[in-house]
Amino acid sequence: MDKHYCICIGRKFCSGGRNVAAIVAEKLGIRVYDKDLLKKAAQDTGFSEKFFDEADEEKTRKGLRSLFISHFTGSGLSSNYLSNESIFNMQSDAIRRIHEQEDCVFIGRCADYVLRESDRLLNVFIASDMDDRVARVCRHADDGMTQPKALSLIEDIDRKRSSYYNYFTGRTWGDPAFYDICLNSTTLGYDRCAEIIVELARERLGI
Amino acid sequence: MAELKTPQELGTERIGKLLIRYAVPAMIAMLASSLYNIVDRAFIGHGVGSMALSGLAVTFPLMNLSAALGSMVGVGSGTMISLKLGQKDHESAQMLLGNSVTLNILIGVLFGALSLIFINPILTLFGATEVTIGFAREYMIIILAGNAFTHLYLGINCILRAAGHPNKAMIATIGTVLLNTFLDYLFIMVFHWGIKGAAIATVISQVLAFTWQCFQLSDKSELIHLKRGTFRLRGDLVKNMLTIGLSPCLMNAAACFVVLLINRGLLKYGSDVAIGAYSIINSIGFMIVMMVMGFNQAMQPIAGYNYGARQMDRVLRVLYLTMFFGTCVTTLGFVIAEFMPGACIRIFTNDPELTGIARNGMMINFIFFPLIGSQMVIGNFFQSIGMPGKSIIMSLSRQLLLLIPFLIILPRYYGINGIWYSMPASDILSVILGFSLLIPQVRKLKKMV
Repeated sequence: MDKHYCICIGRKFCSGGRNVAAIVAEKLGIRVYDKDLLKKAAQDTGFSEKFFDEADEEKTRKGLRSLFISHFTGSGLSSNYLSNESIFNMQSDAIRRIHEQEDCVFIGRCADYVLRESDRLLNVFIASDMDDRVARVCRHADDGMTQPKALSLIEDIDRKRSSYYNYFTGRTWGDPAFYDICLNSTTLGYDRCAEIIVELARERLGI
Repeated sequence: MAELKTPQELGTERIGKLLIRYAVPAMIAMLASSLYNIVDRAFIGHGVGSMALSGLAVTFPLMNLSAALGSMVGVGSGTMISLKLGQKDHESAQMLLGNSVTLNILIGVLFGALSLIFINPILTLFGATEVTIGFAREYMIIILAGNAFTHLYLGINCILRAAGHPNKAMIATIGTVLLNTFLDYLFIMVFHWGIKGAAIATVISQVLAFTWQCFQLSDKSELIHLKRGTFRLRGDLVKNMLTIGLSPCLMNAAACFVVLLINRGLLKYGSDVAIGAYSIINSIGFMIVMMVMGFNQAMQPIAGYNYGARQMDRVLRVLYLTMFFGTCVTTLGFVIAEFMPGACIRIFTNDPELTGIARNGMMINFIFFPLIGSQMVIGNFFQSIGMPGKSIIMSLSRQLLLLIPFLIILPRYYGINGIWYSMPASDILSVILGFSLLIPQVRKLKKMV
């Protein structure tokens, strides 16, 4: 059995995944890693954090440009340390190292796939109703945000997260078959979601 | 990408030492593949005749197209496999290997069959005439029949490299060249099979190389090996591989279009012999360019790592040093082409008419060669510091965007010389473009030192 357990939370954009993760972590007294992961990976490799940020899950390039980029960075002929693939591998190493050192919650970044061999792993996916998400975006964003704009932003980011996840893992983002439990934060509320996750974690992960 | 595991030395070891250590294996591989061209053409030129050389040259666009499709699967599967190996996801890597084999067979056979059916119109489009089409067809029918093996051999070589066996990939490459040389001699000089002999030699050496690769990949103790049940195509894997491989495919397809323009131009303003002359100039130029590419490949990890680690003084040093080496290599090409063109051409032919045209073309073609060394390095530099946009502009400009208009316009005024002028003209413009992109970048880097 692994020394440390971990809870991986996948989430649709603006579904409160981070809030739920924070409550879970507080109840269990452990840390949450989301963007901090990038910082950690950067420290481990001696690379500037900027590169990890640029290759992060919501910033993958699209369209024709990405086609050419893959030619220039991905070709099996040469090794490029700044390609998305190599940065993903460095980030994965950071995830594995953190998992060896402490109990924690990972948000996104394909941690569920990276740690798939672990026997103390709980995979969670959090979604919520579209109306709820649009309202949340409008509440948090600048004044210029309208409902249609919020809707297209949500769709855009979901699409990017999905293509990032599917590309690197070969799994399907948000497909219930790959998670232990999928929760709707609109119907359950953040606190109830967190309670369920903690309960399940205690039962399954031998805490 | 096996060497990714120990990158620390890239940030500390002396730049010159690193560059040489990384460049030597890359250059050997590059030289081997360009020697292959030279050997094939030399045997055909001397053993069969100068018209056969022209016949061979009109098949280049078709060979480029085939290589384009091969590189699509090769680069796509190589990238995906190295990603999966990095994740220790051996099962997926295995699946990708099996799928890439199936895909290569499928595309190889399909392309071969379609081209065989339309062989006459295709060769005519690429610049064949009554005099040359016989040679071109004789050669191409055999090459196309073995097309699936070509794709398999090249595809698995990409995978071997990606899976951390660059040495095995190199052995396969060099082995193929040596075998092809021996068989060329045997079939053309001893058996007098003509141009057909060169094609048979190519196919046999690739089939044997592929067999050897299969042995390497059937070792069950290897991380990835060929395994039953992995060959059935899976939609998501195929889609990923082809998306990644699409751009190298497009680049190669563009190269096919340029060669087509050159061949047709040479035919219109010159003759069949001029097409043969171009194939001689092209194989010398290609060898020089490939040597610079060897340095470029060595620069990439060094510049990339140090840029990522924010050691800009080292980034600049490796850039300058690679530009220096690149310029040395292209200057060597310049000296050879301008001062001893006859010796170069004698490798391929003794025909006085062909020699005359080739000598003239070569001396014009190589005139700005000392400058393009740095142009090629600059393009690659942008790529290695994560600015593929500029890198794409650089590599497209010299071989495509600037060259095509010259190829269309200049021959109208200067005849066949216009075609030869086009190449140095686009060389010099792309060098100017390269430096105008590089200088602001270097200033930025210097501020970050």
